Amino acid sequence: MGAGSRFRVVTDSTADVPLQWIERYGISVVPLTVLFGREPFRDRVDLTDAQFFARLKTADRLPTTSAPSPGAFAELYQSLSSECEGIISIHIGGTLSGTTEAARLGAAGLDGFPVHVIDSGSVTMTVGFLAQVAAEAPDLDQALQRVRERLGRQKVLALLDTLRYIELGGRVSRAQAMLGTMLDLKPILSLQEGEIKSVDRVRTRGKALMRLLQLLRQDLPIERLAVMHAQAPADAERLREELAQELPEVEVVIGQIGCVLGTHTGPGAVGFAYLTA
Amino acid sequence: MVDGPLLKQALLGSLARLVAKQEEINRLNVFPVPDGDTGTNMLLTLQSAVEDIRESSATEVSKIARIAAHGSLMGARGNSGVILSQIFRGFGNAVQGHSELTPAELAAAFEEAANAAYRAVIKPTEGTILSVAREAGRAAKVAADEPGATVARVIEAATSGARTAVERTPSQLSVLREAGVVDAGGYGLLVMLEGMLHSVEKTEAELERLSGVQPAAQATLELPQEGWGYCTEFLILGADLDVAGLRAEIAALGDSVLVVGDESAVKVHVHTDDPARVLSLAGAHGKIDRLNVGDMSSQHRRILEQEVSGADESAAAPMSTRPNGVGLVAIASGVGLAEVMRGLGADAIVEGGQSMNPSTENMLTAVEQVPYQEVLLLPNNKNVILAARQVAALTAKQVHVLPTSTVPQGVAALVAFHPDRTVTENAAAMQESAQHVQTIEVTHAVRDSRANGVEVKKGDVIALINDKLRHAGGDYGAVVERALDGIGAHDYELVTIYRGSQASESEVNQLSESIRGRFPSLEVELQAGGQEHYPFILSVE
Repeated sequence: MGAGSRFRVVTDSTADVPLQWIERYGISVVPLTVLFGREPFRDRVDLTDAQFFARLKTADRLPTTSAPSPGAFAELYQSLSSECEGIISIHIGGTLSGTTEAARLGAAGLDGFPVHVIDSGSVTMTVGFLAQVAAEAPDLDQALQRVRERLGRQKVLALLDTLRYIELGGRVSRAQAMLGTMLDLKPILSLQEGEIKSVDRVRTRGKALMRLLQLLRQDLPIERLAVMHAQAPADAERLREELAQELPEVEVVIGQIGCVLGTHTGPGAVGFAYLTA
Repeated sequence: MVDGPLLKQALLGSLARLVAKQEEINRLNVFPVPDGDTGTNMLLTLQSAVEDIRESSATEVSKIARIAAHGSLMGARGNSGVILSQIFRGFGNAVQGHSELTPAELAAAFEEAANAAYRAVIKPTEGTILSVAREAGRAAKVAADEPGATVARVIEAATSGARTAVERTPSQLSVLREAGVVDAGGYGLLVMLEGMLHSVEKTEAELERLSGVQPAAQATLELPQEGWGYCTEFLILGADLDVAGLRAEIAALGDSVLVVGDESAVKVHVHTDDPARVLSLAGAHGKIDRLNVGDMSSQHRRILEQEVSGADESAAAPMSTRPNGVGLVAIASGVGLAEVMRGLGADAIVEGGQSMNPSTENMLTAVEQVPYQEVLLLPNNKNVILAARQVAALTAKQVHVLPTSTVPQGVAALVAFHPDRTVTENAAAMQESAQHVQTIEVTHAVRDSRANGVEVKKGDVIALINDKLRHAGGDYGAVVERALDGIGAHDYELVTIYRGSQASESEVNQLSESIRGRFPSLEVELQAGGQEHYPFILSVE
């Protein structure tokens, strides 16, 4: 692939890529699926975030989520192959979802056409940032190189308002989150290189927000940073303002947690998705 | 000269006198809260000191002193108990290598005992057991320097030096002055010296003369609450003992009475609210031996606690070992509080807290039990911190004491624990977390009092904020409201109410409703604490 070659960037809906970026960079987003009972909804296609959380609140059973099919990827890659010379397809960590595997299977069907499927090991805007990095690269080689350089530098820190959703989704147990059974504790979790870890447990939301900032400061310097939230815009704005002052050289983006990730975080979650410098 | 047997006799004399005065010392409490336990703590510490001495027939004074030092260290309870153990340690070190002591050497040992106690305390305070010990040592030294000094003269001088120092304590500490009491620990030490003098001199008349001085406020003090039964057991040794007559007399003073034996030895077991009275009655018939006085409410709690922990162990999966190799031991009173702390990761709970301080040995046992080489120890009560600090010296494990002085501080510290962090990182984070929580303890005044400018009537609801008496009033809601106002509760997010065993469900609901009404921005969480003496403990954060 030479300089100036045309390539396209593909990701999935769990990357929480802002709408403007999709337009600005021409990023393609493959939706995962949320199932309320037997009713399937394509993430952010059939259901907006607001509609989803409203429904989540009133649902008597929690929704389930499922990865796109290999066929969905094959179809997209096929149609893109006519307008570019290669694809970089960056996705949610393989430890969290079958999406990356589906993308690989989908790519295998395209004989000779270069599709580079990347397992980000992460989720939400850190994946979105990788897509942005790739899209800003002059060519596919550069895009691949820049994305790979950043794979170990992605981190997500999240405060969940309750452990209920992630626990029911089977991702984290009470014991893993170090939550006792008596007191109402709020977990702070981290995601790094595909692994969810418990970072802290806190009694009050105010204290938890301060703790999130403290934890982020330990990871400075930072290259790209997003404040993510699930229906908690005021808290997200508070964090953004705080950080805008502290880190004038970093653009702090506010992003919304989508339906699939929201199924596991539940409403009220807030946190940071970032690439360290 | 003081040899082993004489020191033994003197210490047993101290014990007998302290038994008789235990409740009187307990009542010398600065705050009108039901936690006056200095007398009990000193007695239990001294009991532990003399336990092995009884069996010893050592002739060397150094040997007896060493046994006492070790025993008191293991049995140390509460601040006064810990300081007492340091006094024994200083005495033991001073007489090392001596088979007997001259009056001058005895005086020097008294002085060194006081010095050792001063060294052991981080911030020594005048007007406490420390200054009483020092004045006793000084007076002993003066008496020993006089021509023709005898052992009895030296002890007598130490006793009167101690008495002068005790009488001075209210002028040295304003809290004592305000509450109208002398220092309880200092008075306890005086009582021990009196007992020593008595057993050495064996002159009743002399003791009467000496014990003429009474603590100023004693007459105005209320008797302890009823129903706090003590399980009291001892032997009466004598000649021509009248078993049936004794049984009838003792039965009038308590229940669960067992009086058996023959004319030379009678075994007594009784549950009574007034062990001192039982002992003075029995003492009139013969010599008291093998005395054991236990606080039954605390024994009962211990049994409950064991049942809970036993059930826990059988139900829980084998404990996964923590990556950082750090164990957690917490002191808690009440089944609910123990459960909360276990839920946060405490590997062992030592039963204790207000008015039933665990001994150094209790804590040592728990520290040894947990399967980790490094242990964070949380006293969760200000009167337990000093005894907890003693544990570090008694074990090969690395013990770090976090100076948590209330239950909410202990819980906040435990919440901040993380199994991936080193012990040092954890200790720093836990301490930081503990400092950011406000504690409100709510109870009833056991007597009229005045402290921190707060006028208190017996039976009043009183609130202590971070261990200081701040508010008094007629009902829980009003007093708690003022306490919350006092700490600026509008700036906080969450109030956790730990309900004590004395508070009813409807009382706690009423209290939480009144807090919600008055402070709508505060979240209120209810927990069954099960602690005694404090109907409510509030954590504000």
